[in-house]
Amino acid sequence: MNELLIHLLKIAGVIGVMLGIVAYTVLAERWVCAWMQDRIGPNRVGPFGILQPLADGLKFIFKEDVLPRHVRHKFYFTVAPMITMVPALITVAVVPWGSYLPVLGHNIKGVIADLDVGILFIFAIASLGVYGIVLAGWSSNSKYPFLGGIRSSAQMISYEVCLGLSVVPVFMQAGTLNLWNVVLYQAEHTWLVWCQPLSFVIFMVSAFAETNRTPFDLPEAEQELVGGYHTEYSSMKFAMFFLGEYANMFVASALMATLFFGGWSLPVAPLNAPATTLAVGLAHVGVFLAKTLFFLFVFIWVRWTLPRFRYDQLMTLGWKVFVPLTIVNILVSSVVLAVMENG
Amino acid sequence: MTTAFWIITIVTLLGALLAVTLRNLVHCVLSLILFFLGIAGHYFLLRADFFGTVQILIYIGAVAVLILFAIMLTRNVTGEEGPREILGMKWWSGAVIAALVAGVLLHAVRRDATAAVASSAPKPLSVADLGRALVGDWVVPFEGMAVLLTAALIGAVVIALEEVQRRR
Repeated sequence: MNELLIHLLKIAGVIGVMLGIVAYTVLAERWVCAWMQDRIGPNRVGPFGILQPLADGLKFIFKEDVLPRHVRHKFYFTVAPMITMVPALITVAVVPWGSYLPVLGHNIKGVIADLDVGILFIFAIASLGVYGIVLAGWSSNSKYPFLGGIRSSAQMISYEVCLGLSVVPVFMQAGTLNLWNVVLYQAEHTWLVWCQPLSFVIFMVSAFAETNRTPFDLPEAEQELVGGYHTEYSSMKFAMFFLGEYANMFVASALMATLFFGGWSLPVAPLNAPATTLAVGLAHVGVFLAKTLFFLFVFIWVRWTLPRFRYDQLMTLGWKVFVPLTIVNILVSSVVLAVMENG
Repeated sequence: MTTAFWIITIVTLLGALLAVTLRNLVHCVLSLILFFLGIAGHYFLLRADFFGTVQILIYIGAVAVLILFAIMLTRNVTGEEGPREILGMKWWSGAVIAALVAGVLLHAVRRDATAAVASSAPKPLSVADLGRALVGDWVVPFEGMAVLLTAALIGAVVIALEEVQRRR
């Protein structure tokens, strides 16, 4: 009974915090972009505009939900936005938010599902997200969403390969696929970004492509495709696509922090080992969230700095640059690791 | 355990059946995904977490997306009409291949002694064990698969090249 309660509380906490951050990332995006373009940004709703996400949410709920007449497959049209949103919520279950939280005699591990195939599980579930976009493009039954859907499926398959191959050296070095243990390895040794910088760069760029963010936002390129795959969507269905994008950004940021920047650990005294007191446990969660928020900021920063890639450039970069680089990286890493182990 | 087994089995068979009988090709692919999910469910039921996740990753996340992508590029996708006949002209060649594959699989399963004794819950397989098995005991079939895939890749390139030359 107690176990079940702890799990439910963990799930509620993680989903609650995540959705809160997702809502406020939208606001942060608008603030940062305003700041970079020398504008003021949203400042009307509440002090400094901090209630803006609430107003946006209400607006989306009260808008009319338009179902265009040319939509033939209403079921898939309705399900598509949900499919983009849900994978992000599932994958966050295997991301370690902290080490331990010693509360009332229970030593609670800071991860919802401590899976041994952690990262594979994340890739597997995240790869389902593309169906939301493809189904939206197909079931909308009009040309711009369709083009967006096709672009998206080609782009996501290509960059999934890079994403998967880029993290192989990380796990060869850590010797485990379990994300909690990867963080533990980094706490005991050193952050993996110092050992595998190439992996990190390729992982980050591929994550941008997988989340459809600028400079890889071709599936929804406004200037060419109206709104891309979500052109025909309105009201909460559109909001789900929107939230799905930010939720995926959150997961990608959390993964970068976990895999390459030590997750909950910091290389200073009480923070570099699993927590034994509640204060340190909470500090670990704080460290993890701070790192994740930093990468969310990087996502926004890049979006308002770089222009969009052309489609052929995107494919060339993925298949002719990143895939060979990751394979060489795996080869070099395995040779170096083997030499260090035996020599 | 048995209830879960039967539910997953029914879903799997339903997906397989719909995939070959539905008219709209896109619906067929989506049923095929249901079938793949069912197979992944069976792997999870057998405590083979690694195989389950890889099944989802490869088949649903890549293969089915590619099929969907190909259909979207080549066919009049918004039309409802698919092929009219379920049994095409060369249905007998399909039947022969299916019978051959089923025969080989049946033979392999029957011969495998471990399949008969697995009445208790099998212990979860670690990824390290799997890796050792792949490059140790099973290295020849593993490399054989690699050759097969390379051949398929070259074949695809040859077909694509022919098309480019014809266009010129």
